[in-house]
Amino acid sequence: MTRQRILLTLGVLFLVGTGSSGLAQSNLEDADAIVARANLAAYYAGADGRSEVRMIIADAQGRQQRRQFTVLRSDVEDGGDQKFLVSFSQPSDVRGTVFLVHKHADRDDDRWLYLPGLDLVKRISAGDKRTSFVGAHYFYEDVSGRSPSEDLHRFVEATETHYVLEHEPREDADVEFHRYVTWIDRSTFLPTKIEYHNEAGQIYRRVEVLAVEKIDGNPTVTASRVSDLLSGGQTDMQFRYIKYDLGLPAEVFTERSLRNPPRQWLQRPTD
Amino acid sequence: MKYRVLLVLLASWFLLAPSVLTAQEDLWEDDWGDQDEGLVWTGFVEAGFGTRWDADPRLEDGETLAELTVRSETEKQFGDRAIAWSGDLAYDAVEEEWRLAVRELSFSTSLGPKVELRLGRQVQTWGTGDLVFLNDLFPKDFVSFFAGRDDEYLKSPADSVRLTAYLGKVNLDLVWTPVFTPDVYLTGERFSFFSGPAGRLVAPRPPAAAIEPARTFEQAEFALRLFRTVRGRELALYGYHGFFKGPSALLETASTSLLPTFAPLNSWGASLRQSAGVGVLHAELAYYDSIDDRDGDDPLVPNDQLRTLVGYEWEARKGVTVGLQYALDWTLDYRALRRNSRDQRFDPDEVRHLLTNRLTYRSSLGRYTVSLFTFYSPSDQDYYFRPSLHYRHNDQWSLTLGASVLGGQDPFTFFGQLEDASNAYLRLRFSY
Repeated sequence: MTRQRILLTLGVLFLVGTGSSGLAQSNLEDADAIVARANLAAYYAGADGRSEVRMIIADAQGRQQRRQFTVLRSDVEDGGDQKFLVSFSQPSDVRGTVFLVHKHADRDDDRWLYLPGLDLVKRISAGDKRTSFVGAHYFYEDVSGRSPSEDLHRFVEATETHYVLEHEPREDADVEFHRYVTWIDRSTFLPTKIEYHNEAGQIYRRVEVLAVEKIDGNPTVTASRVSDLLSGGQTDMQFRYIKYDLGLPAEVFTERSLRNPPRQWLQRPTD
Repeated sequence: MKYRVLLVLLASWFLLAPSVLTAQEDLWEDDWGDQDEGLVWTGFVEAGFGTRWDADPRLEDGETLAELTVRSETEKQFGDRAIAWSGDLAYDAVEEEWRLAVRELSFSTSLGPKVELRLGRQVQTWGTGDLVFLNDLFPKDFVSFFAGRDDEYLKSPADSVRLTAYLGKVNLDLVWTPVFTPDVYLTGERFSFFSGPAGRLVAPRPPAAAIEPARTFEQAEFALRLFRTVRGRELALYGYHGFFKGPSALLETASTSLLPTFAPLNSWGASLRQSAGVGVLHAELAYYDSIDDRDGDDPLVPNDQLRTLVGYEWEARKGVTVGLQYALDWTLDYRALRRNSRDQRFDPDEVRHLLTNRLTYRSSLGRYTVSLFTFYSPSDQDYYFRPSLHYRHNDQWSLTLGASVLGGQDPFTFFGQLEDASNAYLRLRFSY
């Protein structure tokens, strides 16, 4: 899995912003340097942030399901460890479910799930990151991220607006893709499209940004889509009520928040 | 016509359901909940049917589950305070009764920045085991578990006060349950069970009721947990003062018979849970101090026990999770137990070994979940298989098919006594 993918997806998923100060177009050719910048832009905007998210999951027959949740994020270190708290409000069978991730740059992430019906704090193993996130076409890993060091990055070209990079997993044992290609915006460093290729050379999965807005100074993805090109299904996501640099205290990202969701931080900002 | 009420209820539900079914329009149309709409009510309506495949000669009914349940849940917040409600209104055709079961009616508040208080009816869970409980001495509903109700019903609520202090280095949970709340145990109502005094399987009418401790403050339950997480390693210490949660002791009554009751219990324990290799490792230990039989020579009261558990769960293949557990229950003062036994044939083994295995497959978008949970005790030579198939059609409709397959060499072991309870069930749920 690629870190990039994480980058992308996470970035796309949550609170993407750019770490770069200006919006002047950059001119780079070093793939690792671009990935590092994109990683910061997509995942580490501000010191922390919140967003409300809703997803519509559609299968090939057009049948729809809906998910709605609030995400809190805090960076331990830019480009390094991060913490996420995801609190679900819809649909009713997952209402009250809380997902906590401590993402580590140097070891497997720690992940917990709180199931309110049983009052159960469940620890989730690190192995199953590439399964669907609450029934969406996004994966757990898309939410909690993956280290860029897990992939080899190659510079393909610079178009007028984008850098095009190609990525291969260093170890491909546990990933379903053979390689993937990303389009990274040259001014914001936000990945705006990722295409996953399988062994047969087919593009079978696409993540794309549908809307970007500047929020608290950070270019931020406010709508995105993942498409499963083989099955025809897709998940659309929208982000609303986004805010950066809230000053989230460390205890927000502990077991305490699983049983007692931090209402002060989950509620909508008033301004 | 025992099932008439249930049939009428089901018929009305299915007549009403189509109007709800077709209500699904463009889901983006829905707003973000921008307006404060007051209380948000959620829940489900569920029909459940289950039947044993072999008759139980002691019980009239083949059905183990025949009910329609309406669940409602809501929460009202006032600043950092909240009132939460969750409850079921059900018609149960097996027991031929209407039931209003309050799962949660609690008030929670912060007492300063580090302390949370929750007061009222609530469900509580701690410890590291997967369907195996050592230090979790909160009430369990084994009847629901064997009958194939949703897993959530295994945890039964209690009226408690829970105080949680987050003190930085160490956190503390204290749960006070003023009136002892036992497990929902086997009474012979739905499933027959092994009676020690009778020396055989029974299903008494009226159903057996164990003698409960007096409802006084001296008989309250206290449960304590100290816990902290260090670099992803979760450590906890536990203490409990109360009673064995099942009616495992016997009381000599003035009349003639021995009646089941709950022996006083202190328990001490510890647990560890952390990532290891590709999965999650957990280990737990508990010492059950049977206050009324510390020497182990009272045949009417369970002996002290040392309970241990170790488990590992990992994703073996994409979508396939495997969990293995090994539990060992060591009965202390075993020679005293044997010497004073009322009937040596039914004595527990000194060491009970239990193996569990969870196999779960989830299809890529979670539409199907296929699961098999297995309990097997090589020492008691009994078993419990729980296969299930869960199909989630959409956000509203889901269907669960499953079975409880129980049995063993002897009728007096935990799962062995339930051989005639083996059943298959189906549950259809509409969530709103």
